[in-house]
Order: sequence, then C-alpha cells, then structure tokens
Amino acid sequence: MTEIETTTPAADQAFEPRIVAFVCNWCTYAGADLAGTSRLHYAPNVRIVKLPCTGRIDPLFVLKAFEGGADAVLVSGCHPGDCHYTSGNYHARRRWTIFRQLLAFTGIAPERLFFSWVSAAEGQKFADLINDITAKVHAAGPFEATNPARRKICR
Amino acid sequence: MSVSESLRTEAAALLADGRVTMIIASRRRGHDCVPGFFTNADQLDALDHDPDQQLNPAAYLRKEEIRRQMPVAVVARPAVIRSIVLLAAESQITDDDVVILGVDGQTFHGVLDLAAAAALLKAQYPDLGPDDDVLARVDELNAMSAEERAAFWAEQFAKCTRCYACRAACPACYCTRCIVERNTPQWISTAALEHGNYAWNVIRAFHLAGRCTACGACEAACPQGIPLMLLNACVGRTVEAEFDAKVGYDPEAEPVIGAWREEDKEEYIR
Amino acid sequence: MKALDTAKLSDLAAALAEAGYRVIAPVSDGEVLRLAEWTAGDEIRTDGFAVNSIKDILLPRSEVIASATIDGDAFSLTDVPVEAPKTVALGVRCCDVAALAMLDAVFNWDYEDAFYNARREATTVVALACTTCDEQCFCTSVGGAPDAAPAADAILRPADGGAKLALETQTDKGAALADAAAGVLADLDVKPDPPADVPVIFDAEAVTEWCAGNFESDLWQAVSLGCLGCGACAYACPTCHCFDMQDEGTRTAAVRLRNWDSCGFGLFTQHASGHNPRPEQAHRWRQRVMHKFSYLPERFEVLGCTGCGRCARLCPANVAISEVCRQIDQEAKAPAP
Repeated sequence: MTEIETTTPAADQAFEPRIVAFVCNWCTYAGADLAGTSRLHYAPNVRIVKLPCTGRIDPLFVLKAFEGGADAVLVSGCHPGDCHYTSGNYHARRRWTIFRQLLAFTGIAPERLFFSWVSAAEGQKFADLINDITAKVHAAGPFEATNPARRKICR
Repeated sequence: MSVSESLRTEAAALLADGRVTMIIASRRRGHDCVPGFFTNADQLDALDHDPDQQLNPAAYLRKEEIRRQMPVAVVARPAVIRSIVLLAAESQITDDDVVILGVDGQTFHGVLDLAAAAALLKAQYPDLGPDDDVLARVDELNAMSAEERAAFWAEQFAKCTRCYACRAACPACYCTRCIVERNTPQWISTAALEHGNYAWNVIRAFHLAGRCTACGACEAACPQGIPLMLLNACVGRTVEAEFDAKVGYDPEAEPVIGAWREEDKEEYIR
Repeated sequence: MKALDTAKLSDLAAALAEAGYRVIAPVSDGEVLRLAEWTAGDEIRTDGFAVNSIKDILLPRSEVIASATIDGDAFSLTDVPVEAPKTVALGVRCCDVAALAMLDAVFNWDYEDAFYNARREATTVVALACTTCDEQCFCTSVGGAPDAAPAADAILRPADGGAKLALETQTDKGAALADAAAGVLADLDVKPDPPADVPVIFDAEAVTEWCAGNFESDLWQAVSLGCLGCGACAYACPTCHCFDMQDEGTRTAAVRLRNWDSCGFGLFTQHASGHNPRPEQAHRWRQRVMHKFSYLPERFEVLGCTGCGRCARLCPANVAISEVCRQIDQEAKAPAP
C-alpha cells in the first residue's frame, strides 16, 4: 500500500506529543487566552481548535484528530450551568460518556482522551491542565504504532 | 393452532377488513424461511412462521415502496417490537401505520397496536438486551489492555468490506444520506482500509447509542462474521447504566442523546 | 494422471509457495470460509463455499491508483507501482473461473486497465471441480458446469470418492505450475468422481429476451421488496466490478483510491443536482438483473452471472437472483393477465 510520509517526526528525534484540543469559544478558549495574556507558560504541544460550544463537537472530530496522528485529544468547555448557549455542554457531556467508553473498548485508552471544564477565568487551570496532559502523554509515548484510527496511506 | 396457522388466520382477517394492505412475514423457499410480503389473501398459503428469524423486519418500514402501502402488519418478535416502538418514539411511524403480529418462538401474542405491543414488552419481556455470552465477551475484552483490544479490533475490522449490510439490516439506520455518504466534507473514508473501517464501525455504534434494540440483525447480516454485537453491547450497557434508559419500551420516550440531566455522570471530566 | 491425496493439499500449497507463488486458497478463520492468503498450517478446504470470490485477487476492494505530493503550488504525481505478485488461485470453483471471461472483457474494452491486467497475468488459476452443490448453486442455468473451467490454467478433479485430487493442466501457465509442484504430485490411476448434479432452474436466454422488452414491468417491484439495499451481493459476486473513485489527502500529499461500489446502494446513481434516476430498490434491481442478463450479453456475448449463488447465501434478506430469474422465466412463458 502506498505510504506518503509528510510531517511525522523522524525516529531519532525526541518524542514531542502532538495534542489536539477542541475547545469552546466562550470559556476554555478565553481561559487559554487569559493564560497567554497572563504570561503563564504552558507546553507548546497543544494545537487548539476553537468551536462556538462543546455541543458542536461531533465525536468524528476526535476520530479525525486520531486519524491524522494525534497522540492525545483534549475536549474542553464551560462548566455545567455556565454554557453560553445554556445547555450545549450538557448535550456534549452525554455524548462524551458514551464515546469515551466506546473508544476505550476499541483501543483508544482513556490515557489518550481527556475532558475538562475550564472557564474564561481559569487561565491557570488551563496552563496546568495542558502541562499535566503533555507530561502524561510524553510518558505514555507515541500513539503512532498502536493507534487503531491512524490513517496509513497518506500521512 | 400452530403459530403459522394463527398468523395466516389473522393475516387473512386483517387484509379482508382492509385494516392493512400488506403483511410483512416469512415464507418457505426450499429449506429456508425467507421474508415474504403478502398483499392478497390467496398468497397466504405460503406464509410460514420463522422462529429462527435473524433479520429485523422493522428495517423494511423505511422503504418508500413499503411506506406507500401503510398501514402494514409486521410479524414481530420482542426485539423487533422494540424497534417498532423506537421508530414511533423517533417519529418515523405513527400509531396508524403499523399493526403488530406479536410472536416469540412458538408463542403467538396476537394482533397488537403500538400501545398494546409496548405493554406486552413491559409485562412479559422487561429485561431484553444482548445475550449473556455477548456481555461476557465484552467483559473479557475490557479486562485486556488497550493495545490488546486495538489488536483484536484491527483483526476484526480488517475483514470489513464496507458492504453496509449491517446498516441495511438495522431498522434504526434510516438516514436517507448516511454520514459515510457525506463528502462535503468527508468525515469517514469510504475505502475498505484500516482507518475507514475503524471510523465506520465505531461511528455506527455511536449513532446507535440509545437506539439499538440488540436484535442482532447487523451481526447476522455481516458476510464476514464481524462480532458487531460486541460494539453495540458496550454502548448499550453504558447507556443503560449511566442514563437509566431502556430502549424501545416507550413510544413516547425522549431520545437518549437528545436529552440530558443535571446529574449526568462527569467524574472523568477534570 | 498426476494426482495427490486430498488431505495433502497443503503440501501442494507449500511447494507452490516455495516456488515463489503467493497462494490464495479457501481457508477458514474458524467461522467464515474465505479465499485468503494461505500460510503454513492453514487447512485448505475443498468443501463449502467461500464468502468471497476470485475477483478479490484481480480487483482488490480498495487500491491506490494514483498519488501525488503537494508543495505549496507545486503538485507532482508520483508513480504507483502496480502490485502484482506471482499468485496461484488454488481451488477456486468453476463458477468463479467462469467470471474471468467477463472481467477480462470489461477491463479491456474501452481502456486497458493496467492494474487488472498485471494481476491477471501474474495469476495462475487452478479450478476445483464440484462433486456436491447446495440449493443456491445454479451454474448450469447460466451456461456453466460444475466440472468445466475452460478459462482455468489447471483443474483439480476430486477422485476415488474424494480421497484424491487429479490435476489436469490446460495452459502453459498450468503446466509450469504442475512442474513447480512435481514433488508432491504422483502418477496415479485414479477415477474422477461424478460432477455435482446441479439442476437447471431457469432458461437464461428467455430471461435475456424478456428483459429487452420489459423495462417498465411491475415485476421489478415485486421481486425487490425484500432487498434492503446493501452491497453484500455485489461485493461477493465474481462478476460485479463497479467501482468508486475517492481522493484522500493532506495538505502535502494525496492519493486516489479505487474502491468497490454497488448498484444496490441508494445513492449509487445520485446526481450532484439531487436527482436520482434510480430512486427505489425496484429500479436498482432492474439494473442489476438487466446488467447481468441483458446489457453485458449484448455488448460482450457473455452473461454477467455464473450461478455461484454467493449473493443468495450472503443476502441478509435471502433475496436470490436465481429466484428472480425463475420468476422472469415463468412470466416470459405465461404472462400474468
């Protein structure tokens, strides 16, 4: 099968986890922004994807991130009761409870998939969270070899 | 009277008084029992009960050519009744569209409307779900490491040819344009390769969360013998445990994924 | 004649593997019998019907046919090597072999398909004559026979009550294979077993003729009510060959894939405008039957059905094209008022 290498790091380079974070605009993204404006340092491994609300997050986004080579995925939004659209995060929460079980059952362990509530005021929490997740994924190692969702024909 | 005889008698009566224009049942063909569609009393001699039926005839209720014939009667075992109740709960059919000829192995439960069928389920079949051996296998897999499970499913999904027999056989898969048929953008690769097969089977199981009635028709339909019920049992068990929802027992039930509660589980959310 | 013990079929496979052949044979995974790559230790089954067909070897379910790298505005195609290892299809039924004439015609009529042809060239076909059949077999109704495979390079005939297999070569490729396997074949005086008795259940010529004049018949709806619109039949069928092209890629690389497709799928003929000329299963069943029994014979003088019966065995709704043809045959002979 044809394989086309693009940006996968070479084997001899130290492993830098690639983490994709799907976050809501009103809370977690603002919280990440606050971390930045407060000059709080957090690991640069995270690639942030902003959505209006966690209710918009389709589990397919998570799968797509793993398909593209993410070593871990974070999904984060407003605390229950604080959703900008009132109940988007409640809908999301139900999906996550089911989806994380299904992914774990098919080989994407909870060590690769994280969920959090981070408000616009929780810049420190965001920074701590990213640092913690990055360290954990660093310790877990690259997901490449055992990632069941990974696309192999075109990387 | 045998179940077949009861079915033939009731079917004749339903057609005679115009209550339905078609009976969806089974007929004998050689050594097999296959789906049969009866629109005329003189065809009913061929109607035969199939106690081992694996197909879920509720899947026919999405076909335009069947819907045009509504109201129709469907010979339905308990898992199939659950599917019909689910379709009503999801506004795909109304009370007036379907008459149920309830069966279970060698028992005939009579001619039922939707409410009576749901009542029958609650009274006599309150705990329907995946077989014990399926649940035991789910537990076995959960006891393995994530890598071992990934390897197990990789071997299973490698067999998938993307024939979509699982989808076609499932009464809950009635989208006129399935997620796998969308290409602006394309979320799921249509190639029968690892990444597409993983995404397809996982997402189908997810789209059935709170909707699967554990009839097993998908696994029976799979030409490659992929143990699809393991995925559905995993999801189904989570739904029942976390959201206290029994699928297909209440034609007025709210959808599991469409609803939410303040007290929904969240201890895994940091 | 050259023969071996049926129980030693794996030795034949081993000898061929040793000689550089990739051996594809009917093997079971414990539950499902399929034509798959044989490895040492696998038992080759001469009973039962594989869920897949020889088509899998010649037209894989998904393959990359073009690839490219993208660097800013620069788009450069890269060569896709055609994967065509030396292969032997060992123990495929005569109905599978009967599909080759049609597949060869389709993949070479308006365009010579390099991928198909390379694999066809690289494959030696060893048929297995049938001494038993089941209710779904109907090779004799479509011009075939359980013990004749003219397009095969060689044919294995069960003999001495099934205990032996006699190898009869039919082409140079077959002779070359027999040479490679000389070590496991012996000159034995064996008596080939009688072929399976496959009753003729419909007149294919009558079906072809009826199709030509009955495009608008009500029969199409009646016979297709049970069909749920999946692709199990088309994918299992040795003659079905429709495919879908899909492009996948990233910002820096792309591949073009050729994947199996089925005319049974609801959206098979969906136009970008939203119009679908085959909106219901009846239209799609009409297409299926007419393609096999009317259009293909008209164009290539071969039927698009070899009577293998896989479609009926695998159909989740037990729809059988043989039953449909029987109904058409009946209708042709005594039209309903």
